[in-house]
Amino acid sequence: MMNQPEHYSPSSVDAEEDRILRTWTPLMLRTILIVSTIVLIAGIVATILHSPGFFIDRFHAVQKSQLHDAEGFSTLLRGSFAGDPHAIMTIGLYILTLVPLVRVAFTFVLFLKDRDYVYVAATAYVLSGLLLGMALGRIG
Amino acid sequence: MVTVLGGLLILAVLAGFVGALSGLGGGVFIVPGLVILAHVPMQVAVGASLISVVATSAGASVAFVRDGWTNLRVAIILECATVTGALTGAYLAGVISQPVLELLFALVMLQSAYFSISKHGDEMLPKSDPLCERLRMGGEIPGDDGRMTTYGVRNLPGGAVLMVLAGIMSGLLGVGAGAVKVVAMDTLMKIPLKVSSATSNFMIGVTAGAGALVFLSRGDVAAVVAAPVALGVTGGALIGSRVLPHANVNSLRKLFAAILVLIAVEMGWRALAGI
Repeated sequence: MMNQPEHYSPSSVDAEEDRILRTWTPLMLRTILIVSTIVLIAGIVATILHSPGFFIDRFHAVQKSQLHDAEGFSTLLRGSFAGDPHAIMTIGLYILTLVPLVRVAFTFVLFLKDRDYVYVAATAYVLSGLLLGMALGRIG
Repeated sequence: MVTVLGGLLILAVLAGFVGALSGLGGGVFIVPGLVILAHVPMQVAVGASLISVVATSAGASVAFVRDGWTNLRVAIILECATVTGALTGAYLAGVISQPVLELLFALVMLQSAYFSISKHGDEMLPKSDPLCERLRMGGEIPGDDGRMTTYGVRNLPGGAVLMVLAGIMSGLLGVGAGAVKVVAMDTLMKIPLKVSSATSNFMIGVTAGAGALVFLSRGDVAAVVAAPVALGVTGGALIGSRVLPHANVNSLRKLFAAILVLIAVEMGWRALAGI
C-alpha cells in the first residue's frame, strides 16, 4: 500500500464531506455486517436446535428446487420471533442487503448537500433501482 | 446434518479465500462449487452467491473508503448502467433454463481466467475529456514521491456500455463482475488501477445488492444454503486478505486461472449435455 498524506481527497467531494464519508461509512458498514452476522448465526443455531432432520430435509428440498414461497416482512418478523430458522436466516440476509442501500442513500445526502443536481439525480436513479429490485422480484 | 452444513461452510470459506487471493471475488468459485459439488440448482447457487458478493464487498470496502481511494462520482454515474443491467439480468435468471445459465457461466469463468493473468496498464491522463470534465469526474492520488497527482477520466459512454454488460452478468450469474468493471475503468476510461479497483469494489456491492433483492423478494434465495455460504465466503475472504500480502500473487494467479479453465470446461460440458 502506498503512503498517503493525511488529508487527501480522491474525488471532488469537499474536505468536510470527505471526512464525514470516511468516518461514518465504515462505521455503518461494520455495524450492519456485525448485526447480520449475529442474526445469520442465530438462524443456523436455530436450525440445528429445531429438530435433527430439519436441515437435511430443507437442503434436499432445495436440491429439488422446492423453495419457500416469497414472504412479506411482517410474516418473516413474526416467524423470527416464533423461532422459525428459515425466517431468522432470511431476515439476516435482508439486513445484509442494507449495506448497498445505506451506502447509496448516504451518497445521495452528500450530493444533495453539495447541490450537485446531476449527481443527486444519478444517485436517486441507483437508489430507486435497488428499491425496484424488490418490486420486480415480487411480480417476477 | 453436520456433514452437509460443515461441507457448505468449508466450500464457502475456500471460495472466499481463493476469491480474495486471486482478486476475482468469491462468486466465480462458489457458484460452480454449489452446482457441481453440492448439486444445488443454478438459480439457488446464483442467489446465494449474490448475497455473499454483497457481504465480501462490504467487508473489503471498509478499508477502501477509510483510505479514500473510491471515486464516488465515477461510481455513481457508472452504477446507473450496472444497476439497470443487474435488474435485467436478475429478471432474466428467472426465465432462462439451467443449461444455458451454466454455459454462460462457463464463458464468464474463461474471461475471469484471462483477466487474472493479463497485464493491466496504469496509464494516467492529466486531463479529462470534455464530458467527464463537465461531470467533474477527475480526482487526485498520491504519486510515488507522495505528492498529489491529478488524474483525468475519459470515454464515459464506452465505460457505461461495458458496465451494462457487467450488471447483466452479475444479476444473471451471481458474480461481482469485477473483472469487467476494472477493465472498463482501467483500460477504457484510463482511471488509475488502484482507484479502479476501489471504485469497482463499491460498485460490485451495489450491483450485487440490486440482483440480491430481486432474488430475495422472488423467494429464490434458499436460506439454508445462502446463510452458511454468506458467512463462509466472508470469513474466507477475510483470511485471504490477511494472507495476500505474504503470498506470491503472480504464481497463484496462474494456478487459479488454470483451475478456472478446468471448472469452466466441466460446467460447459454439463451445460451442453443438458441442452
